[in-house]
Amino acid sequence: MNYIASSRERWLMLIVIVGLVSVAGLSRWLDTHRPPTGTKIAEEQLYLNGATARRISLAFNGLAADWYWMRALQYVGGKIMTVPPSVPIDSLGQLNLKLLAPLLDTATTLDPQFMEPYEYAAVVLPDVDLQQAILITKKGIAANPLAWRLYQHLGFIYWQQKDFQAAGEAYAQGAKLPGAPVWMEAMKAKMAVEGGSRELAREIYGRMYEQAEDDQVKNMARLRLMNLASLNDRDALLKMLSVFRAKTGRCPSTWKETEPLLRALNMNTDSTGAPLDPGGTPYVLVVAKCDLNLDRNSKVPRK
Amino acid sequence: MDKVQASKIVETTSPLAFAGVRNRIATIAGNTFREAVRDRVLYNLVLFVLILTGAAVFIGEISGGQERKIIVDLGLSAMLLFGVFIAIFVGVGLVYKEIERRTVYAIFSKPVGRSEFLIGKYLGLCLTLLVNVAVMGAGVSLALIYVSHGWDQLVLTIWPAILLIYVELMLLTGVALLFSSFSSPALSALLTFFVFIIGHFSADLKSLSGSMGSVAARWLFASLYYLLPNLANLSFITPAAHGQLPDPSRVAVVVLYTLVYIMITIAMAAMIFSRRNFK
Repeated sequence: MNYIASSRERWLMLIVIVGLVSVAGLSRWLDTHRPPTGTKIAEEQLYLNGATARRISLAFNGLAADWYWMRALQYVGGKIMTVPPSVPIDSLGQLNLKLLAPLLDTATTLDPQFMEPYEYAAVVLPDVDLQQAILITKKGIAANPLAWRLYQHLGFIYWQQKDFQAAGEAYAQGAKLPGAPVWMEAMKAKMAVEGGSRELAREIYGRMYEQAEDDQVKNMARLRLMNLASLNDRDALLKMLSVFRAKTGRCPSTWKETEPLLRALNMNTDSTGAPLDPGGTPYVLVVAKCDLNLDRNSKVPRK
Repeated sequence: MDKVQASKIVETTSPLAFAGVRNRIATIAGNTFREAVRDRVLYNLVLFVLILTGAAVFIGEISGGQERKIIVDLGLSAMLLFGVFIAIFVGVGLVYKEIERRTVYAIFSKPVGRSEFLIGKYLGLCLTLLVNVAVMGAGVSLALIYVSHGWDQLVLTIWPAILLIYVELMLLTGVALLFSSFSSPALSALLTFFVFIIGHFSADLKSLSGSMGSVAARWLFASLYYLLPNLANLSFITPAAHGQLPDPSRVAVVVLYTLVYIMITIAMAAMIFSRRNFK
């Protein structure tokens, strides 16, 4: 049966369509003319603490935990837009991420077995609120006593704070758990002997890169590894520049002049002969100081 | 015991009589299921599929690599929520609608007992919920396969949690049926919803009873704790999202606990319903 709309119905349909378009337009106008939210309101503490949220979430605590987790990611993501991509997420202290700790705390209280917020708390939070980072990680250990990775996170937090003894103990405790990799045991001794060394840092970030499930944490570990590789590069290049100066009595004006010495270092170079940093950008030669620097566009983090 | 009483007992307990009861209950249950389908109750599946498809496609961008967990949490939570709404809103209307439309007179003019009618109605809605939950479970499994780009162990491990959700819905249907046997649909819906909420707060009732100073208050909260169904026992969505399986013996006891509870609610509903005067 063919349905033919009457003229009255056509008018009603038109009103509905025009109405929908109008509300979309008005909503857009309201959004663009919304007065800026004060930072005090934007950073207002959460209304619910984790325990209360867990109690009122009925059977939906897992879903509520996912919601808080995604809110934490959006919160950091929103703030991170203002910093260059080469800044790793473990150096976000200047962004005033006041809500991150309560968001992660609530997510992990709602679902204590949700591992990713703990990883995030261990990596991002120490630069924002060290005590909260330790508290959340320890809370995770209490709720998941067999999760050796939480001990790895705790050890990482202490290592960053240069508390090598506490870091070593955390790794040693984690090493005793079933399924813990062999290198966890070795970490205790390494912490005691070479706590602040570049080699140990490389191992810690290397392990983190292998183990991390969160892309942001993986990327942070990658940037840190690049930074460590670049520090080694720069040490070798500085040594090479001093050899050049000792030989010629001056600094090279271009990288090309150092070509034979660079070749001995076995470093990658570009078409102009400039050595490349681990991100693939050429190092900048500072002729006046007989020094070198990372390029402004380098992907390698500066600290 | 006189001869008449004895012959009645023999009549109702004989295999033939039992088969008759079973057939009548099955007929009422089948009709209730058909009615639910005609009333488009299963249309909620469309909304469920839309939510799940949207989540499967878009959640990856904002979940920080936690798509699988979120799909399970979202899918099973939606399954419970939709099921609770169906159990409550369809459940409270099961008896009321028949009385309102006066079809109950036609039914009871036939050799159908009031208890058989109630049990048939109850089982019919349980069948509707079973279809609903099974289709939703299959939907969650497919969404998991989609986000994992292949087979995922969670596809199997979520089913015990789905079973517990279904058992919870069966219990709520019984509670809705009980309330609707003596009160209006609106009030029954409200009361059943309260039971759902209080059932998930059982642990608080217990801790309240332990922390109260007054002996009377302690007894009151302890009685409430043991009288009201403890739905937290049936909650396994969050561990299921982590791939955990419940202890089978615990599941068996929880299912038994719920079945006993369902039996109590239906018995009470039948008791109240048998005394109702439809004139």
